[in-house]
Amino acid sequence: MPDEFILEVKNLKKYFRAGKQGLFSRREQFVHAVDGVDLQLRRGEVIALVGESGCGKSTLSLTLMGLEDATEGSIFFEGKDVTHLSDKERKSIRQRIQMVFQDPYESLNPTQTIETIVAEPLIVHNIAPTHDERRDRVVRALEDAGLKPAEDYLHRFPHQLSGGQRQRVVIASALVLEPHLLLADEPVSMLDVSIRAEIINLLAELRETRGISVIFITHDLGTVGYFADRVAVMYLGRIVEIGTMREVLTSPKHPYTQALLSVIPVPNPRLRKQRVILQGETPNPIEVPSGCRFHPRCPVAIDVCKQSDPRLFSISETHQAACLLLV
Amino acid sequence: MAIQTAEIKPAVPASPLPGIWKTFSRNRIAVFGVAMLIVVVFVAVFAPFIAPFDPKSSQGVGTSDIYNPPSAVHWFGTDDAGKDIFSLFLYGARVSLMVGFFASFISVGIGGTIGLVAGYYGGRVENILMRFTDTMLVIPDLPLIVVIVALTKPSLLNIIFVIGIFGWTTTARIVRSQTLAVKSRKFVLRARGIGASNPHIIRHHILPLVMPILVVNAILVISTAILNESTLSFIGLGDPSAISWGQMLNFAFSRGAMSAGAWWALVVPGCGIVWVVLSLTLLGHGLEQVLNPRLESHHLMPGKPTVQSEAVEVSDETSDAPVLLDVRNLSVHYISDGQAARAVHNVSFQLHEGELLGLVGESGCGKTTLMMALIRLLPAAGQIVSGQVLFDGKDLATLSEEELMDVRWKGISIIFQGAMNALNPVRTVGDQIAEAIIKHTPAMPRGVVDARVVELLELVGIATEHKDHYPHQYSGGMRQRAMIAMALSCNPQVVIADEPTTALDVMIQAQILELLDSLRKRLGLAIIFVTHDLGVVAEMCDSVLVMYGGVTAEYANVDTIYNMPQHPYTQELLKAFPDLTKPEKKLASIPGYPPKLDALPSGCRFAPRCPVAFEKCTIETPKLINVNGGHIVSCHLVENK
Repeated sequence: MPDEFILEVKNLKKYFRAGKQGLFSRREQFVHAVDGVDLQLRRGEVIALVGESGCGKSTLSLTLMGLEDATEGSIFFEGKDVTHLSDKERKSIRQRIQMVFQDPYESLNPTQTIETIVAEPLIVHNIAPTHDERRDRVVRALEDAGLKPAEDYLHRFPHQLSGGQRQRVVIASALVLEPHLLLADEPVSMLDVSIRAEIINLLAELRETRGISVIFITHDLGTVGYFADRVAVMYLGRIVEIGTMREVLTSPKHPYTQALLSVIPVPNPRLRKQRVILQGETPNPIEVPSGCRFHPRCPVAIDVCKQSDPRLFSISETHQAACLLLV
Repeated sequence: MAIQTAEIKPAVPASPLPGIWKTFSRNRIAVFGVAMLIVVVFVAVFAPFIAPFDPKSSQGVGTSDIYNPPSAVHWFGTDDAGKDIFSLFLYGARVSLMVGFFASFISVGIGGTIGLVAGYYGGRVENILMRFTDTMLVIPDLPLIVVIVALTKPSLLNIIFVIGIFGWTTTARIVRSQTLAVKSRKFVLRARGIGASNPHIIRHHILPLVMPILVVNAILVISTAILNESTLSFIGLGDPSAISWGQMLNFAFSRGAMSAGAWWALVVPGCGIVWVVLSLTLLGHGLEQVLNPRLESHHLMPGKPTVQSEAVEVSDETSDAPVLLDVRNLSVHYISDGQAARAVHNVSFQLHEGELLGLVGESGCGKTTLMMALIRLLPAAGQIVSGQVLFDGKDLATLSEEELMDVRWKGISIIFQGAMNALNPVRTVGDQIAEAIIKHTPAMPRGVVDARVVELLELVGIATEHKDHYPHQYSGGMRQRAMIAMALSCNPQVVIADEPTTALDVMIQAQILELLDSLRKRLGLAIIFVTHDLGVVAEMCDSVLVMYGGVTAEYANVDTIYNMPQHPYTQELLKAFPDLTKPEKKLASIPGYPPKLDALPSGCRFAPRCPVAFEKCTIETPKLINVNGGHIVSCHLVENK
C-alpha cells in the first residue's frame, strides 16, 4: 500500500558549494551535508534522528521542508513526489509539514503578540478568513499546546513568557495548520532539564491525540528514549544505524552509537561507568574520509575500514547498521 | 499524563510600547532634543500668528529701517531691506524644516527600499544594488547637488528632490546590514517554513525590526538635508520666493551686513540652523540608546560589605582535605528603583582542596549570581548584603578592589558560559591567553609567557599549531578548551565553571568533562561546576548544592543527593531527568516555574510547586537543618522528623 508511509526518502543528497574558490583554480569543492539518506516514516510514527552537530541532521530537515533544494534523490510525501516543486505547489504541502525549531527565544518575532504569531500560518494560507474563526483556531491550537486558558496568552509578547511557554507557542503555531508531519529540530536542547520533560510529553501526547508523525532531531540520545518508536543515528551525512528504540538503545551495533550511548550521563553516582569518549570532532564534510567515514574516530576500526564503505546491514527486520565488523 | 498547565501568569499583559516610552522619557538627551524640536516646529507652524510683521510686504519700510539693531519693535533687528529679522526667521523655519522633512522622506524611502531588497534577497541583486550604493557614496554629493541645482530652475521642489536623491546612501547601508541580521533569525526561517511569501515576510518580520534603526537614521538624514539646503541657499542657489535660513545668511552676506556691523542678520539664522541640527542630533542619539538597550552602560561595582545575619554552622565532616573556600551565610540583593530583589539568601558551603562541587538548579535560581558574588563581579545593581567569603585567610566580601585583583584569576578563576562570545574574534587565541597571563603577572618576560601559553594549550588538549589561529577557526569544543586554558593561566586554586558544556554536543560535552576531571586530579584544583543537568553532576561531582529561588534547598555529598534526597525539589529534579537505565520510566516535569526574584512567595520558596507542601510551608520559611554529618536540607518535612 503506497499510503502506508507518510514520508519516503530515497538516496537523498544535499551538497553545498564550499565557499572559497580561487580566481584561476577551477577545482570545485562540496560540503557533503546529506550524503545518501534513505528513510521511511509510517503514519503516526515518531522517529528520532540523532547525531552530533555537523552530521547533516538539520540540513536533512530543511531539505525535507523544501527550504533547501535536494541535490539528488527523491522525497515522497503522502505518496506524492515533492522533491522539486514550484513555490505554488510547495505551499499546499507546507500546510501538512510543519517545523519546530531549537531556540524558542529566536524563533518568535519579538514585536508580535502570541495571537499574531499563531494566526500567521492561517493568514498566509488563507484559512479561516474571518477574525472570529481565526481566533477560534488559535485558541484551540494554544490549548492543545498546553497553554490554558489560551485567552491569557493571546495578547502577550514573547518576552513575557518563559522558555518552556515560548516553545509551546512555537508548537501551537505549527499545530494551527493541523499538519500531518512535524519536524522538531532540537526542540528541548535549549531548555532546562526540568522543562524538557513537559515538552517531550506534549509531543508524545499530540502524537496520541492527533496521530501526527514526528521527526525528532537531537544530539542527545538520552532524551529520545521515552517516546520515539524508532531511532536513526546519523554520522557525516548518512544514517549509520537505524532500528526500534529498544534495539538501538539496548543493543547498539554501530561503534558510533555505542560511544554516543556510553557518554550519556546516568543520574546515579553509583553507576559511574566506563565511557567511550571519541576524540576529535566530526570531520569536515568537505573531505569525507575514505572507506567507512567513521574509521578515523572509530575505537575498533580495522584495516579494511579504510578502503571499503559499508552499506546498511540488516541485523533484524527493523534493525540495520553500517559497519564492516557486522559482516 | 496530563499536560502541565500550572503556569504563573504575569500581572498585566503589556505591549512593549509603554516600556519604550518609559525608557525614552528617562533619557534626558532624547527628551531635551524633542523639546528643542517641538519649539522649532511650533514656531514654523504658527509663524503667521507669531510674526509681528509680514516679511513679504515692504509697506511702511523706510531707509531709516535698514540694518537697525535689535530693539523693542524689532527683537532681532532689521535686514538690508528694513524687514523684521524675527519675522523672517520664523518664516525661514518653515522652509528649512519643509526641505529637511521632505528631502529625508525621499532619501529614507530610496535608501530603505534598496537596503531592504539588497539585504533580503542577497546574491546578484545585492551585489548590483550595493555596488551602486558604494559608487554613489564616493561621489562627493554636495558639489554634485550644487551643480545640478545650478543647472536646473532653483525652485523649492527641485531642491527637495535633488537633496533627497543624493542623501540615501548611508540609509541603504544601515538598513541592509540590519536586514541581514534580522533575516538570519529563526523566526524568518519559520515564516518561510509556513509558506509565507517574501513580501509577507518583509512586511511582517523584517520591517518591524528594521524600523527602529530606520527612524534613528531618518532623523539624522533630516539634519543633513537641512544643512545641505542651507549651504545651497547660502551660495545663492535657493528658491528666491521661499526665504530659508540659508538664504537669510546669503542676503546678509552679499548685501553688506558684515561691513555695516549688522551681526544680528547673520547670527540669528545661523543660530536657527544650529538649534535644529542640534535638536535632531540629540534626539537621534537618545532614540538610539532607547531602541538599542545594549548601548546602555552596565558597569561593575564592588559590593559593599555589611552586617552579619543568622549563622548556621555548615561543616562537612566527611572530607579531611583542607578547606579552600568557606562561604558563610552569603546574601546578595539586586537593588533597582529602590526595591531589593533577594537573589541569593543565606547560602553557605565549603570547598575542599581537589573537590568538585556541583551547583544545581533551574535557570533563575541564583546560581550565577552566587558565583559572581564570590569574586565580586556582580552587575551594578547587585550587592552582597551579608555573609563572608573566606579564601586564603581573607574575607573576599570585605576586600578592596585592589586586593581583589590579587585573588581574581590567581586564586579563583572562572570559565564563562558561552565560549563563543567570551573570546575576542579579531585576536588569536594564543594572544588572548598570553594577555590573561600578562595582565596578572606583568613582570613575566615575553619568552616565558609564550612558553606558558604552549604549556596551557597542551594541558587542555589543543595542538600547538592552533596557537596562532583565530576563534572562528576553532570548533565549539576547542573554544571551550581555550576558555579553560585561559582560566588556568594564573595557576588558580579554585575554578568556577559556569555551565561550561550547556551548548555543546554530548560527545564534546563528555570530552570537556573528562578534561576538567583530569585537570582536577593533575593540578589539585577545586572546581565549582554550575549546571542544570543532574546527570553530569552524578558523573563527576563529589558534593552537590541544590539551589532553589536563591536559597539552599539541599547540600550533601553526591551519593546522598542521588540515593537519599530529602528535599522535594531534589526529588522532583531527579524524576525529570531521563535515565537510560530505566527507559520505561515516564518523564515527570515540575509544574510551574521558579519564582521571580521580585515576587517571592511567603514561606518556603518552593511551596507553590511542591507536591507535598502543607499549610506551614506557605507561612513559615524553613530553616537550614543539618540532618547528619554535613547533609543540609531546608524543608519543614525534615524539620518535623
